[in-house]
Amino acid sequence: MRLAIGNYTATSAAGIGLAAMREAIGKRRSGLRRNDLEGCDLDTWIGRVDSLESVSLPSRLAHLYSRNNQLAWLGLQQDGMLDSLARLKEQLGQDRIGVIMGTSTSSIGRTEEAYTRLLPSERMRKEYCQPEVHNLHSPGLFVAEVSGITGPSLTISTACSSSAKVFASASRWISHGLVDAVLVGGIDSLCMSILYGFNSLELVSQNRCRPFDERRDGINIGEGCGYAILAREELIADAEFALLGYGESADAYHMSHPHPEGKGAVIAIDRALERSQLAADDIDYVNLHGTASQANDRIEAHALAQRFAESTLASSTKGWTGHALGAAGILEAVITLEALRHNLIPGTLNCEQPDPDFEFGVLMENVAMPVRNAMTNSFGFGGNNATLIFGQIND
Amino acid sequence: MTDVDIAGLGVWSEHFSNWDGFCAVLAGSAGTQSAALTPELIPPKERRRAPLAVKMAVEVMDQACRMAAVEPSEVATVFASGMGDMQITDYMCRTLATSPRMISPTKFHNSVHNASTGYWSIATHSHSPANAISGYSHSAAVAILEGAVQAVEEEVPVLVAVLEMAAPAPFKSVYDSDHPFSAALLLTPAGYHASPVASVRLGVASGAVDDPPLPTIHGVDLSNNFAARLLSLFTAIAQQGNATLQFPLSRNATLSLSIAAGHAVRTANA
Repeated sequence: MRLAIGNYTATSAAGIGLAAMREAIGKRRSGLRRNDLEGCDLDTWIGRVDSLESVSLPSRLAHLYSRNNQLAWLGLQQDGMLDSLARLKEQLGQDRIGVIMGTSTSSIGRTEEAYTRLLPSERMRKEYCQPEVHNLHSPGLFVAEVSGITGPSLTISTACSSSAKVFASASRWISHGLVDAVLVGGIDSLCMSILYGFNSLELVSQNRCRPFDERRDGINIGEGCGYAILAREELIADAEFALLGYGESADAYHMSHPHPEGKGAVIAIDRALERSQLAADDIDYVNLHGTASQANDRIEAHALAQRFAESTLASSTKGWTGHALGAAGILEAVITLEALRHNLIPGTLNCEQPDPDFEFGVLMENVAMPVRNAMTNSFGFGGNNATLIFGQIND
Repeated sequence: MTDVDIAGLGVWSEHFSNWDGFCAVLAGSAGTQSAALTPELIPPKERRRAPLAVKMAVEVMDQACRMAAVEPSEVATVFASGMGDMQITDYMCRTLATSPRMISPTKFHNSVHNASTGYWSIATHSHSPANAISGYSHSAAVAILEGAVQAVEEEVPVLVAVLEMAAPAPFKSVYDSDHPFSAALLLTPAGYHASPVASVRLGVASGAVDDPPLPTIHGVDLSNNFAARLLSLFTAIAQQGNATLQFPLSRNATLSLSIAAGHAVRTANA
């Protein structure tokens, strides 16, 4: 069952809202900066959302305060998303819409902060006693509260595939008739757990991340937030794009290292192609996971070479945003939808010397051309993979 | 309406370590202290690295597959927890507060919410879709709904595992539970399994409800454990009758489960 995509939006280091991101991509202006996150002394680059710290939540949401929810709030204000949701609630009823969010670390930044100021009893100080914040469903709870959607809601947390998998679950919910539409999204914000955690694995680069470059030496952690409305096709009259397919798989190999042959990645790609009833040749553009880690890029190139002709255009957009982890899936889904809408395929920013050992070459410069069908990959720790395929609705 | 069968069950707490143990405690016998968890499915080398939360999940997932006599590699997985692995979160936050560069890389990669399904897929050599979700206090009901919809839509058995750990001291400010609990249900499309232990019809409606009351189990207090809300369902299945239970899915959505007794539970845990 193909599902229509309604309004969508994204906020990341590459820009707050679609227009800013489009401009950054068009002008090849990276959102990465030297690490200037308060309280973090790592020598690296990060994808921080400008002035996120000064975003204030309305007082009725004060009990939900966290950096992650500030980002969720900021993202929901962009591109008329709240107006679209109000119309959708009017059309379908607030209880016929679901909420499925993706995140890797939820509001853990707030928990980290609470731990720096514990009481002698080891309890949290009063201002940190926020039960609906210190849990994995914090993004889902927040978005349901702000949007007024009262249908079923859940939060998916499968590391870096989280907010790609939201499309798979939403697709099943709608196809099953559980709801008529789903607000999907993903939110992950900069926090110490992730920065020092990836540093402990020696995966963090001291430079701007260089996906698919032979000199690539690790990832830049980013933060981001994105949303999309998914509904049965007849419910969105002016829909331009559809979710044509999704594929989910597990590597069954290692907790933090991808399968050396890219087995799980290829299975996810195959399942997405099968569901969309498309052949690899029908895909005009692939937005890669492309983290700029040694292993990911080599293995993803190998996986792609097993299915796609060398002429297929594929790029990583992490050079604009950094790796937004649990929000990467939705950010890159939105970037892929933007390529469909504006006939502009982003290249691979910061890739200057493509790794000559790779079996698949990536697109380096932006290319203006019509895109009918496009794919996006997301691969996470625990060997958790998801691939999505989007396409134009009208011929 | 969604119709699925429950082909197998797994359950673990400090006072009962499998389905037989749970039934005995339900029937009035005193629970015994569960032995340390050593899920045999995970190879010994991996098991040493596996955190407690992973062991709690994999143990009950394995129990459910064994009860159903279903090959573990054939099932898709949905893991759910409201609070996640609080032991690791506690470790991470304490270390970050004092010496952030000392974070253990193994503990960090084990900190992902999908660690349990990651270890499961590695142990069972399964490339099946693996999910890890949260519905905060309603994680158990949300996971059953998510698993049932996936089972029907994808026509595959879906292994649902739910757990909550004992809260470390700082977390007691927001989640006051001292006792860990985990449980698993192997959900299949109706008619997929020859001898399911129960058939379930799920319905979702608007409106708020409270969770059904928990069975009184002598000497065991799991009342604050989000995952243990499943014990009302497990009790209904143990009692081999027909029952309808209602669980909150969120503040204003309700899941109703109409349970019809199936085949008597096979004692495959031993």
